[in-house]
Amino acid sequence: MTEVKAELVGNVWKVKTEPGAQVAEEDELLILESMKMEIPVTAPRAGKVREVRVKEGEVVKEGQVLVVLE
Amino acid sequence: MTDDYESRVSDLEARRKKNLAMGGADKVARQREKGKLTVRERIDLLFDAGTFIELGLLAQNRDGSDTAPADGVVTGHGDIDGRQVWVIAYDFTVMAGSMGAVGEQFKAARVRELALRYRKPIVWLLDSAGARIQEASGSTFAGTGWLFADQVYMSGVIPQVAAMLGPCAAGTAYIPGLADFVPMVKNTSSMALGGARLVKAATGEEVSDHDMGGSQVHCYESGVGDNEVESDEECIATVRRFLSYLPSSNAGTPPFAETGDPADRAVEGLDKIVPVNPRAAYDVRKVIKAVFDRDSWFEVKPTWARNIVVGFARAGGHSVGVVANQPMQKGGALDSDAADKAARFIRMCDAFNVPLVYLMDVPGFLVGSQVEKEGIIRHGAKMLYATSEATVPKVTVIMRKAYGAGYYVMCGKGYQPDTIVAWPFAEISVMGPEGAVNIIFNKQVEASDNPEATRAEMVAKIRESINPYLAAGWAMIDDVIDPAETRRVIVRGLEQARDKKVDRPWRKHGNIPV
Repeated sequence: MTEVKAELVGNVWKVKTEPGAQVAEEDELLILESMKMEIPVTAPRAGKVREVRVKEGEVVKEGQVLVVLE
Repeated sequence: MTDDYESRVSDLEARRKKNLAMGGADKVARQREKGKLTVRERIDLLFDAGTFIELGLLAQNRDGSDTAPADGVVTGHGDIDGRQVWVIAYDFTVMAGSMGAVGEQFKAARVRELALRYRKPIVWLLDSAGARIQEASGSTFAGTGWLFADQVYMSGVIPQVAAMLGPCAAGTAYIPGLADFVPMVKNTSSMALGGARLVKAATGEEVSDHDMGGSQVHCYESGVGDNEVESDEECIATVRRFLSYLPSSNAGTPPFAETGDPADRAVEGLDKIVPVNPRAAYDVRKVIKAVFDRDSWFEVKPTWARNIVVGFARAGGHSVGVVANQPMQKGGALDSDAADKAARFIRMCDAFNVPLVYLMDVPGFLVGSQVEKEGIIRHGAKMLYATSEATVPKVTVIMRKAYGAGYYVMCGKGYQPDTIVAWPFAEISVMGPEGAVNIIFNKQVEASDNPEATRAEMVAKIRESINPYLAAGWAMIDDVIDPAETRRVIVRGLEQARDKKVDRPWRKHGNIPV
């Protein structure tokens, strides 16, 4: 299991994956919006998405778990 | 036993042979089992073939016994790409590479003395359990510790590299702490102020040396390590590469290397790398690779504070230090670690006469309660300090966003760049248009029947005023350039400033906000 965490405070702008999806390393999982930038959050490794813990529009804190890969 | 000329010489040969065998066959075999090279194999890789001159081969344990061949550290000098470099290389096969009195006070100290006397770089090959506790005798500890003071006197005079090829425990961890460059071998190297056993005794925490201070900690979280490498071979190749961008001392200029890449080459493909939409991310390392000499990019600290990218490259064959914002990470916004990383790199370049090129695309410093608690003002000030202080040639290219204090620390006009240019879609502003609208036109937006439309209108209006032509119209920047011209502008900008000399008021030293 790998927890993908937010690197900084921001809004979840777009969720680009869903539970059950197979992802490759570097695939975009979601896009945060912070500092007026669209900040892609990518998969640290290949795997299957177990959980997406946030919704579009939600404000997330630094270190908050966004997606869990299995 | 005969005692004549010949026997005396063969006795010498036997003594040499014994010490060249390091800690003996068993210990050498154990070193190899761990995936490590021996100290002598490492030195062979470090220096140009046949150039190593050893000093102190016949050193022994302080007690006069033959239990510590060379006293566990191999010292001397050799050539790297034809230039003299000194080495202090710990031998883990001899008493775990521990620092004995002879090895430290006479061998390593002599290297430090001579390297500084001749103004040549020092490379430490670290693979050592730390101080040799067996030799510790009470309060005579009072007479130890010169090595770190020496390192500080050498700082900014000669390049210092601490290559982490094994453990580096306790006080010796300050060797990398003070060095200019610290590559770490994955899995086998570690560093910590207190080794695992000491930590257990001191605090009760149970943790292995690797978990506490391996490259996964220092190259990713703490920032003490610079570049994580896979093997001893790669580590030593990385050391050689690092030194190729630096002069032997602050009295010299970095060696020129013909790269065969034309100085006036138009940069192709930037349109496919950099989105005009200022909100969209991209990997700035692709820009760096496209702009600078082919295959010349050498990134430093690539895995820590990734929202800023620093490293060496060549521009028309000349060594340069590159400082670039990385929109891929945290949107390129600067935070404490990024400022820290950039400030230290900028100061290293300035100390060793390596010109700086700033590639700017920065939405500003991160804001909020979290970063204030970290002391972002104090950390950000380091980068302001380093950029202001640097008197090497400086070229600034505003690629896209130049917002707020981000513009300052990335060598905006006020920081005396020798050349400062912008790309046509650059945005130079105290803050991004969206933020500005919220502050300046908040009332208008709130009073509007259609706030979103009004906001968009205001944003568009501000965006128009922050394009680079207003700044260029005031001649605050030297030019607006086609991105394809970037390489030529950098090479010529550096050429223009080659004879730069800056005199500032005398002072003992400034007071950088560490």
